[in-house]
Amino acid sequence: MAISRRDVLLGSAGAAGTAAFSFPVPAIAQSEPVKVGCLAAMTGPSSAPTIGFNRGVTFAVEAINAAGGIKGRKLELFIRDTQGDPTKAVNATQELISQAKVHAIWGPLNSGEALATTPIMARAKMPDIHPCVVESLIDTTKFPNAFRMAPSNSQWDDAVRNYCLNILKAKKIAVIGDTTGYGVTAVGASVAAFKKDGADVVYQANVDSTQPDMTPDMLRAKNAGAEAIVVWSVSTGMEARMFNVRAVMNWDVPFVGHPSMSSGEIAGLVEKPANWKKVYAIGYKSCSYDAAGKLPPKSEDLVARLAKANVVMNDTLLWWIAGGIDAIELIAKAVAESGSTDSAAIIAYWNTLSKYPGYFGNYSFSPTQHNGYPTEEIVMSEASTAKNGTFALAPGYT
Amino acid sequence: MTTVTAAPAHHDSGTFRAALPHIAPFLGILVLAVILPFVSNDYWVLIGTRAAIYWVLVSGLNLVVGFAGHLAIGYVALLTLGAYTTSVLVAGNVMPPVPVFAALPIAGAVGAVFGVIVGLPALRLRTFYFAMSTLGFATIVTQIALAWQSVTGGGIGIVGPEFPAPFNTAWGFYFLCICFGVVTTWMSANIARSRFGRALIAVRDAEVAAEATGISKPKMLIAIFLFAGALAAIAGGLFATLQTYITPDAFTFDLSVLFFIAILIGGRGSILGPMLGTIILTILPEIAAPLAAWSTFLYAVLLLLIVLVMPGGIAALLDFRNRRPLASNRAIVPRPAALADIVRKRTGGSHLKLRGIALSFGNVRAIDGLDLDVAPGEIHGLIGPNGSGKTTTLNVISGYYAAEAGSMTLGDDALPPGEPTLRAHRGIARTFQTPRVIGEASVLQNVMIGGSIEGRASFVESMLALPRNAWDERMLAAKARALLGVVGLESLAEVRTDRLQHSELRFIEIARALMLDPDFLLLDEPAAGLSNDEIERLAVLIKAICARGTGVLLVEHHADLIFDICHQVTVLNLGRTLAAGTPAEIRVHKEVVSAYLGG
Amino acid sequence: MLASIIASGLAAGAIYALVGVTYNTMFSTSRVMSFTAGQLAMLGGVFGSLFTLKLGLPIVVGFLLTLVCCAIIGIITEFVAVRPVLKSLDQHLYVLSTLAVALMIQQVSAIKWGTEPQPFPRLFGIGSGVWDEKFWLPVVACAITIVALEYLYRRTLVGRAFVAIAEDNFAARALGLPERNLRVASYALAGVIGGVAGYSGGELMLAFFANGALLNFYGFVPVALGGLGNNRGAIVGGLALGLFQQAANFLVGGIFSSVAVFTLFIVVLLAAPQGLFGSSTARRV
Repeated sequence: MAISRRDVLLGSAGAAGTAAFSFPVPAIAQSEPVKVGCLAAMTGPSSAPTIGFNRGVTFAVEAINAAGGIKGRKLELFIRDTQGDPTKAVNATQELISQAKVHAIWGPLNSGEALATTPIMARAKMPDIHPCVVESLIDTTKFPNAFRMAPSNSQWDDAVRNYCLNILKAKKIAVIGDTTGYGVTAVGASVAAFKKDGADVVYQANVDSTQPDMTPDMLRAKNAGAEAIVVWSVSTGMEARMFNVRAVMNWDVPFVGHPSMSSGEIAGLVEKPANWKKVYAIGYKSCSYDAAGKLPPKSEDLVARLAKANVVMNDTLLWWIAGGIDAIELIAKAVAESGSTDSAAIIAYWNTLSKYPGYFGNYSFSPTQHNGYPTEEIVMSEASTAKNGTFALAPGYT
Repeated sequence: MTTVTAAPAHHDSGTFRAALPHIAPFLGILVLAVILPFVSNDYWVLIGTRAAIYWVLVSGLNLVVGFAGHLAIGYVALLTLGAYTTSVLVAGNVMPPVPVFAALPIAGAVGAVFGVIVGLPALRLRTFYFAMSTLGFATIVTQIALAWQSVTGGGIGIVGPEFPAPFNTAWGFYFLCICFGVVTTWMSANIARSRFGRALIAVRDAEVAAEATGISKPKMLIAIFLFAGALAAIAGGLFATLQTYITPDAFTFDLSVLFFIAILIGGRGSILGPMLGTIILTILPEIAAPLAAWSTFLYAVLLLLIVLVMPGGIAALLDFRNRRPLASNRAIVPRPAALADIVRKRTGGSHLKLRGIALSFGNVRAIDGLDLDVAPGEIHGLIGPNGSGKTTTLNVISGYYAAEAGSMTLGDDALPPGEPTLRAHRGIARTFQTPRVIGEASVLQNVMIGGSIEGRASFVESMLALPRNAWDERMLAAKARALLGVVGLESLAEVRTDRLQHSELRFIEIARALMLDPDFLLLDEPAAGLSNDEIERLAVLIKAICARGTGVLLVEHHADLIFDICHQVTVLNLGRTLAAGTPAEIRVHKEVVSAYLGG
Repeated sequence: MLASIIASGLAAGAIYALVGVTYNTMFSTSRVMSFTAGQLAMLGGVFGSLFTLKLGLPIVVGFLLTLVCCAIIGIITEFVAVRPVLKSLDQHLYVLSTLAVALMIQQVSAIKWGTEPQPFPRLFGIGSGVWDEKFWLPVVACAITIVALEYLYRRTLVGRAFVAIAEDNFAARALGLPERNLRVASYALAGVIGGVAGYSGGELMLAFFANGALLNFYGFVPVALGGLGNNRGAIVGGLALGLFQQAANFLVGGIFSSVAVFTLFIVVLLAAPQGLFGSSTARRV
């Protein structure tokens, strides 16, 4: 394994060669900490995922440092709270690059932030690994430094569509999103993809998430004959209202879509727990338990380690924590394997990864493909079955 | 050009020396800005670029908020508009791609138009309504950016424009933005220091008086809404480049609050203050990163503190000149003789005639069929008990109230009812019962406001400091100084007006009215609150004004003053003429004597 | 469908109307339009959820505590943001001071309460569909508030004193009315009305920090429509706005309904600056 990787490294001689050549002063560099920047929306709206990711990041850094660091070099974290504001994110990115002089950056997650900061990181050739779903962020020519270790929007979309069409066998689909940038874009993409697959999109709408009553939209979806409602929104309030209206209408249509439908807050927002049944939110094989309540072995192991380290899991999602750990380990691994914190070396190493086994999934990157997460890992889960940040697999998966 | 002599040149260097203390802080900031990239890293260059871009917007908004006093709290909407317009034009989403240096001016034009549309409610409505409408506009611009996906990219947004070399590097773009900042500072300072800037403050702090001097509020406001809208949109284009990519969530309400508070921290009616405010507020969140979550809260606390504790802002802190104590034993010594050098001598001229004027407020007949003739070169006294309609009569003549019946003529022409801003053009000037001056402006500026309609330079000429504007300024300043000499206040020319005594304000109002070189001067109780000495000097002054051929209508309670200097006296009671005639006739008029003169 | 639009339209409209009345109540004694009106309504929802769901107090106790807390916030507003700027009313500093207080309330709620909407207790458990209590509760609350205010203003001494101050501040002071205390009382009353708006609308709008800014605008539109200080105008304007907004939601979709509301707002302001039921401006000179 190690040999083959070295072979690959030698194979991409150009990048590796430059990397080796550009070592400044190896002797000093060896004792210097490996600096990792985190662009994290720790406060403000839409901070919940980042807080989860950050627990994983911190956990991984502490674990690595406790085990002696990377070949004796400690990992040092530079966390910048961007509050979900692209303006603050741009400032923080430049600060990490020019002032803190970090070696690699993790994040950001929020799409507006990621869109604005990715070109800036590309300009500085800063190795960046992020979980943001926006399609256009991965472009190996424009942003050869950016790697995605989470599903992209279209991968989510594929999984949702697959579940609706092939498992639920629904023919008539309603697609509803909120009026945020994300909601508008996701609804548009989802509708186009459904149509391309020959499904009948009978109703589509973008609803103001503060709208007090969802009855009109639900009624119209019902009148149009929808057999499944696909939801693209991060607004738990709006989602809960839809679930409640469905119950009032005595309609048993399934909801399929965005992971926020499985968010813990919904429990308090639905009028009765039954309203939250038949809601299938995006989940991951690695973080889903089976009928016996068991996670995959590797994940069981991780949960045990996290519990031992007192990492809180009941108010967040396991895949966020696992993703945070994987991100740090990917960076650490790159430094360890390439023996350098040089950005070109880190990027070159990531480009060689094939089915790298992380906790959240197996990652594969190549110089022309930076979407590292495998689509088959994405599954639907029962939204109301949260247990320590994991979910029950939705019905229909074998 | 060939007739230029040594004198004006000397004058120019003099004004430069006088202006140096004002310019020096700006030059200092500029020098620091130029040094910045050489002593720091790309991060601070980015923050500097951001501050410069925000300042481009704030320098325009400052005229709306700081000078005109309109609380535009949603100006991020125009930044958004400019950012999207520039980006869309450069990306070529709707038409063939446009080079960025052409897209920026187009965005500026679009911003100017929308600046006026958003500003329209300010022309008619109370402050709070305007604040709300800008807020509402800020919401819908974002909504439209989201919804109009084919053009704006919706939530995924759009790539910001990229400038050609050498502006495509961090340094190059920084210096470009600094240049924009310098130019907008220069333009907004030119406007602020011109008659337009003074007129804005006049409309803000003394709207009624501004109307009497012929300042048209709608015209003024539209001009600055155009200007501020254009600058905000251009700042938006630069902002889009800096962000590299724009999505609707980049344009937060926090940003709006930042712009707004930067101006208030800086101080109203100042340019240096808001500039420092912008720089401070851009840097503050960077050095106070642990407080990031609370930044809006801190802005709010700052806002409250400014309002309650330091309403003058940074500008007031830096205003050292106005902390020097004024002489406490100063006296107003008018020099009416000097009037001959300033006010032209009239002979003959037309009469101001009121016939059968009637006006009621609810059920109260304030004026009930009043006839009045004011002749040029005569002082006409108007007396009567409180509520007899004296001030209302002045207000009808000035156009604040439209009479319900009757006619007003000036010579052969009818004087249209209402329309106070047209009175100055007809040669009618006035003072007010409670002096209406701009407390935050200097005495000289207050007087110069009186001559607003005499300026010849257009708004654009003033903005670009073209020669006609300089000529206007020299002319108005010289005339105002001379008139301050006439009323005896030239030593206080540079002092903030709110530091003056009440009696001095009355003389300032007279000087301001004289700036018009008026055919008719309406004085509303000019002697109220004056000492006996001052009343005597006032009498001499009024007589001197009259002697130049100006007709004076004098509303007064001081019977002695009236009988001393008036040629004609009209006595009002309950809105009707009780008696009219020469002072000698009135003095012996039975009803007048028994009713008012305590005879 | 129509029934659903009318139900949610009237419910939302009643909340907007109550926020409009909150604006008017503060305006009547102080001549100040306060940005805190919408925040008070937001707090009505947040406090209601906090006391009943988080702290587990009985509904009646939770309701009364909510009103007391909102009244206290109202009084604080008067002391901090209104009283200090009253002497220079013409400089409109109150716009800034009340905006500052509103931003503080909103930011503290966002940080301490959270930025996600949180559930509001179900109060009576009566009705379903379009007759669900979340729809009729705000309407009933609005009706009760109006009747109570009418009773207060017409039948009680304190209420008449309010009216006297609202009509002519100087004359009322000359008569020896305790103008300052009445003003504080009116801010407390405004707090209670805002609290009622938020509490009765809690099931509809949830306990959500961003409701404050939203209600600030949507609650002001009825005031602009109905004329400043005119409670009946605010009620009519509020209900009309609610129906218009929900109908627009239905007809043109979520994104453009807010554009439609804003356009309506600007058009009405430009066409009838005094509002549809307002009186003309005071004398200027």
